[in-house]
Amino acid sequence: MKEISFMLNDEPRNVQVEPNEILLDVLRNKLGIKSPKCGCERGDCGACTVLLDGKAVRSCLILAVEVENHNITTLEGISRAKLSALQEAFMEFNSFQCGYCAPGIILAVTELLEKNPHPSLEEIKESIAGNLCRCTGYTPIFDAIMSLTGKGTK
Amino acid sequence: MKDYKYIGKNVTRIDALDKISGAATFVDDIDFGANLLYAELIESTEASALIKKIDISAAMKVKGVYKIFTGKDFHNRFGLYMKDRYVFAQERVRFVGEQIGAVVAFTPEAAKSAVALVKVEYEPLPAVLNQMDALQSDAPLLHPEVENYPRVPWFYPKAGTNIAHWRKTRKGDLGKGFAKADVILEDTYSVPRYAHCALETHIAVAKFDHSGRLTVWSSSQSPHTQRHLFAEALGLSHKDVRVITPYVGGGFGGKAGVTMEIIPAVLATQLKGYAVKLRYSREQEFTNTYQRLGVVAKIKMGATKDGRITALEHKLYWDAGAYVEYGANVVNAVGLSASGPYCIDNVSIDSVCVYTNLPPGGPYRGFGYSEMLFGLESHISRMAQQLNIDEVEFRRINAIKPGDETAYGAKMNPSGLQDCIDKAAAAINWGKKPVSEDPTKVIGQGFAAFWKAPAMPPNASSSAFLKFNEDATINLLISGMDIGQGYQTVMAQIAGEILSVPPAKIRVETPDTDRNPYEWQTVASHITWSCGNAVKNAALDAREQIFSLIHRVYHYPVDVLYLEDEAVKCKTDSAFILPLQNFVVDGIMTEDGTFKGGPVNGCGMFMPEFSSTKDNPETSQGGHPNVHYTVGAAALNLEIDKETGKMKLLKVALAIDAGKAINPDLVRGQITGGLLQGLATVLYEDMRFNEKGKLLNPNLTDYKIPTAKDVPEEIIPIIVEVPQPDGPFGARGIGEHTMLPAAPMIANAIEDALGIRIKSLPITAEKVALTFLQEKAKQ
Amino acid sequence: MSLAHEFAYYKPLRLEEALSLKQQYGNKANILAGGTDLIVNIREGVLKPDLLIDIKRIKELSQLNWGNDTLFIGSNVTFAELIENEVVQKNFVLLHDACKTIGSTGIRARATLTGNICSAVPSLDSAPALLCYEAMIHCAGTGSKREIPVREWFLSPRKTALQEDEIVTGISIKRIPDSYGIYIKLGRYSGEDLAQAGWGILMIGDKQYRFAHCALSPIPKRAYHIEDLCNGNSLNADLIEKAIALIPSEINPITDIRCTQKYRMYISEIMLRRGLMAIQKRSSGKYIEPRKLMGDV
Repeated sequence: MKEISFMLNDEPRNVQVEPNEILLDVLRNKLGIKSPKCGCERGDCGACTVLLDGKAVRSCLILAVEVENHNITTLEGISRAKLSALQEAFMEFNSFQCGYCAPGIILAVTELLEKNPHPSLEEIKESIAGNLCRCTGYTPIFDAIMSLTGKGTK
Repeated sequence: MKDYKYIGKNVTRIDALDKISGAATFVDDIDFGANLLYAELIESTEASALIKKIDISAAMKVKGVYKIFTGKDFHNRFGLYMKDRYVFAQERVRFVGEQIGAVVAFTPEAAKSAVALVKVEYEPLPAVLNQMDALQSDAPLLHPEVENYPRVPWFYPKAGTNIAHWRKTRKGDLGKGFAKADVILEDTYSVPRYAHCALETHIAVAKFDHSGRLTVWSSSQSPHTQRHLFAEALGLSHKDVRVITPYVGGGFGGKAGVTMEIIPAVLATQLKGYAVKLRYSREQEFTNTYQRLGVVAKIKMGATKDGRITALEHKLYWDAGAYVEYGANVVNAVGLSASGPYCIDNVSIDSVCVYTNLPPGGPYRGFGYSEMLFGLESHISRMAQQLNIDEVEFRRINAIKPGDETAYGAKMNPSGLQDCIDKAAAAINWGKKPVSEDPTKVIGQGFAAFWKAPAMPPNASSSAFLKFNEDATINLLISGMDIGQGYQTVMAQIAGEILSVPPAKIRVETPDTDRNPYEWQTVASHITWSCGNAVKNAALDAREQIFSLIHRVYHYPVDVLYLEDEAVKCKTDSAFILPLQNFVVDGIMTEDGTFKGGPVNGCGMFMPEFSSTKDNPETSQGGHPNVHYTVGAAALNLEIDKETGKMKLLKVALAIDAGKAINPDLVRGQITGGLLQGLATVLYEDMRFNEKGKLLNPNLTDYKIPTAKDVPEEIIPIIVEVPQPDGPFGARGIGEHTMLPAAPMIANAIEDALGIRIKSLPITAEKVALTFLQEKAKQ
Repeated sequence: MSLAHEFAYYKPLRLEEALSLKQQYGNKANILAGGTDLIVNIREGVLKPDLLIDIKRIKELSQLNWGNDTLFIGSNVTFAELIENEVVQKNFVLLHDACKTIGSTGIRARATLTGNICSAVPSLDSAPALLCYEAMIHCAGTGSKREIPVREWFLSPRKTALQEDEIVTGISIKRIPDSYGIYIKLGRYSGEDLAQAGWGILMIGDKQYRFAHCALSPIPKRAYHIEDLCNGNSLNADLIEKAIALIPSEINPITDIRCTQKYRMYISEIMLRRGLMAIQKRSSGKYIEPRKLMGDV
């Protein structure tokens, strides 16, 4: 066991982990952060997406020990003060159905909008091409994001 | 049309905040404390074999392993429509991945490590890996005892064969029908197996406490059906079994009925006081849950030169897998409806459910209709071509109308098929296809019509409890599942409309069978209709209680009272306005200081009392097995790269008759989502097994579902509304239907563009390119 | 769930420490940079290391240096960094094309070019670019250093020329003046997918050519027969057809879950023809999106 410390949603956290523990499991089972979901454990689906130093990554492919001294942001951190404009748009456009992929997709798009507040449809698609959604057919997700870029209409 | 306040409006989903804030709780998000055990399955590596020996000695030595169970510990059989499955294999395995036993440990890692050390010795038996082989007279039998299995009365297994059920539908005189035809076309179409690919894998946690009460938390579309099957298999009283189903991360039929959930439930009974969790890996999700059945369909159709279909012979042979307790009803449903949405005088349908040594087939969005319609709607398009009639016109001529007789003799319900056909065709400018600017590309137009009825027992029912709170907000207790379609919101809209309460003030919690009243299952696209009726009845019940109280206290006749803006009002006394929150819990104080009334709690239920499966097994005539059909049509412009075979969906229109779209945005959401799921089964997906029955692509790397970059350029959702007379506000279900037209529509567009006819799914870029190449070489 | 396999983890500050651990553990130690392949391989029991050496704190391995017309890409450099790098965008278009086709945003934020070539799978998207640029793989052992030309790197599927006690420190590529490149990938999806076939083409001046492919042979390879035919000739329709006729002598594809041998054989012709035509357009300054060349969105 090794104690690691890192910033989780802007709060310092310490946790004891073994080298073979995966970040996703440590977040969910040792730190009570449940919004990142497990969908495939191979990096294929994106349900476990978290932001690592601001970048969307797969928490199922990262060892917990790797994030020592880094910053991790999850949907809990984004939602804490108030919903982001992106989250509001997701509500308005029904950009989710079962809701399982939503945390990952919202984080991936949060990174995109941070870097590029006015992405094209193509850039939006590229940013979430690794986040699978079986329910919505993606179109309502595009609509929500486009509504924020000033390019979209409902 | 009546002006509604919430019905027909794009009310914000009431589960939105939960799901976009990260608060939504799924089964694996629940903490079970220190007494949690983890189960991992010991799975068959053989498609067909006898189990000679199971050696668990090395596995038991793994640190953290608690107990190991196998088939000799449990002999329980289970199944929804036919009891042909075991919790753990009994002496014999019938597919690769079948559960032989389970290791239970204090950590999931220990359980997994131990499973790798269990040694199973097999005596291989011959396996049959496709339904056509399994139908041969010398094929090895999977279930020699099939005719003795307990089952529903509408299943007809054939002793001494691999046929678990054979649905026959006969109408008119086939010979005469073909004799009248000017054109007869006969061909065979085939469809492989598909996987649901819900993003959340199957999971269940079971606890059998020291009082002898079983609680199961599961990701399920069917809490009450699960409770019933657990009680039945374990010999427990229903009151002692409690199923709690939090949010479900996608279902698509895959989480209907009972599959793996019975395993932790059974294990828990031997592990008193512990909670036992079984969570499927993505690989297990592919190998040991329901899969969509494969089918080989032989179609012979005749029509006159003026475009009337005179006869249809449709034979469907289904690859239903090793256990068919649910899948056989898919076969049954299609066996009744394989005429498609057409009125045909002479019809013969044989829908044959065949055991194979592959994973169990079961419900998948569309319940067999997608598979059936691939052949039928391909065939319709080809018939029209041979008759030299526009294929849309050919569909119009033969489209079933309200009151027409179905193949099994019942009357067709009110529906707007003609309207759907016209609107879908108009939306893509049918007959005037665009021309690609790129010489390597060519554009084709495709069309398909569809229908589907809910497949369910005749007495499948729904019920609802509705409780007013002090502030006149409402808790609505129902047991359908919001698997993403927006069911909770729609139910809140129905209750809200009747009680004049905004849906945002209604909470619908996910089901708990101890607290919430009975619902059969969230399947068959029937809950908007069925549970919607129950909710409506519960709201009416509450309203009646309110009016009767007002009458008692204020003496207004009940029939002049009405609800508006969360208050009781009176048609004859405009000054009378009594806000609901003044009395729905606390009652109304009268002059002498006493109170009348009390908490208002509504109760409602619905069962389709006209439905019956009692028919002649040789013809299917005489019953009323389907409550109603939902119909629709779709059309697309498809651009094909002639060399690479890559296809671009330029414009897709899908028109569906929702009866009444209670929340039009949610209907459109089903269209965009269902359509892409349907398109994926044509363009990309299929389950591929090797010669030993092992799945070659059990992951999302090689059984890949479409990404954000694989969506059509434009989708035009069209809602048609011909009310369903017995539906809540005229509504009927639309959830599954949106994927039905995808496959034939694409195949038809490809023929339009390239002149090649592809008769098997999937239709990948590779298949298009190579087929076109081959065709060119012939010329 | 966490990984069932247990191992030790060490995150050295200096390369020497990593090398001495590698010398001590040999193939029982795996190098961890992005981990996008490694963690999957451990989870699925393909690899069972005793030790993971996380190299992300070793600064020299995180360099992305441009000097003397040569780009040095340290082992920790991710695909996301390469895609955003202006030197790559401007001077190594073929590599830039390839990087964009790998995985998805979330994978590219972690996955490294070095990790990619160490996996040495036949469908390696980055390989045709590195083969065309004649990249050098920089390897270090305790007290030793060597550079391996990329054409000698791939030995067989999943097997490379790296020794048990060595670590790849980076990859260097030299700018080729007056060159135009393109990487064409065919996948089943417009979105993330493994290659069914991949072709890299580099045109130097107007009469020199390099071709390389992936997913079409047991290892990614240069297509020397085609190069010999083309070199010294200007690009025209006749040359393109002659080049295509030589494809069967260059590739040796198999049938697998992603497509058939027949389609790979056939589609290579289309890819090469369209690729060469596109390169002509690129050399005349036109913007070409390689993904769209094969009909993807």
